[in-house]
Amino acid sequence: MSAVEHPVAPTTTDLLNQDAVHELVSDRYRGILGQASTVAPTLYSPEELAGMPEGAVSGALGVGNPVRFAGLRAGEVVLDLGSGAGLDTLLAARAVAPTGRAIGVDILPEMLERAATHARQAAIGNVEWLQGEIEDIPLPDASTDVVISNGVVNLSPRKSRVLFEAFRVLRRGGRVSIADIIVEQDLPPEVIVDPQAWAG
Amino acid sequence: MAERVFAKWLRKAGFTEIAIAHEQWLGIDDLRHYPLFTAELLDLMRRAIAPERHHALARSLTFTARKP
Repeated sequence: MSAVEHPVAPTTTDLLNQDAVHELVSDRYRGILGQASTVAPTLYSPEELAGMPEGAVSGALGVGNPVRFAGLRAGEVVLDLGSGAGLDTLLAARAVAPTGRAIGVDILPEMLERAATHARQAAIGNVEWLQGEIEDIPLPDASTDVVISNGVVNLSPRKSRVLFEAFRVLRRGGRVSIADIIVEQDLPPEVIVDPQAWAG
Repeated sequence: MAERVFAKWLRKAGFTEIAIAHEQWLGIDDLRHYPLFTAELLDLMRRAIAPERHHALARSLTFTARKP
C-alpha cells in the first residue's frame, strides 16, 4: 500500500441515526393526516383565522405564531419551513399580497397536496408548494426575504444545518421568525425514548 | 433543545439581532391539542414527570433574527 492510499474505505454509515429519525418523524406525521388539532384558536386571533379554510385551521400543528412577529410587508418573498397543512404559509401569502408570494416547503407530498387544496379554497394564488427537506432547501441562494417556521426545526436531526440553510436562502437584510419548543430540563428516559414523544 | 443552544446555532449560522419575540409556557394539558400526543402518551408523561413540572414542561419561543 502506498502512502497516499486511504487504509479504510469511506463509510456512509448513519452513526447518529439521522435518517431513522427523519423516517420516524415523517411516519408519525403521515399517520395523523386528516386528524384534527385544536391548537389554532390558542395561537391565532379570530381576525387572523378569518377566511382561512377549516382544513388549514384544524391541521395546524405549530407551537407559536411566527407570521405575527415576522413584520411582513407587501412584495416580500416568504419561505415557510415545514409548511404542513399550510396555515402559516397562507397567512404569510395574504400579508405580502398582491406583489409578494409565499413558498411552503414540506417533506410529505400528501401534506403539500392538502396545503394546495387549502390555498385554492381560500382563493390565495400567490403561494407555491415545494417538496423537500428543510436541511437541504430546494431554493437558490439569496432568493427569499423572510423565513418562517413553526414547531418544525426541533424535529430535525440536523437542527443547526436547517438554520444554515435558512441563512443561505435569505437575501442580505432578510429575517427569520421561528417558533419552536424549548425544553431546559431533561425529560424522564421513558418519555424521551417514546417514538410519539420524539415526533411531538 | 435549550434556548441558549438555539441562539448559539443562529449566531453560528451568521444571524444577528437575535431576539425572542414571544414566549409561552406549555404544560402537559396543553399538549392535548395536538393529535401527535395520544392519551397513552399523555398518561405516560403524567406518571413519569414530577407533578410540579406538569404545568410548565416546556416553553414555546419565537426567535427573530436578521441576515446582515
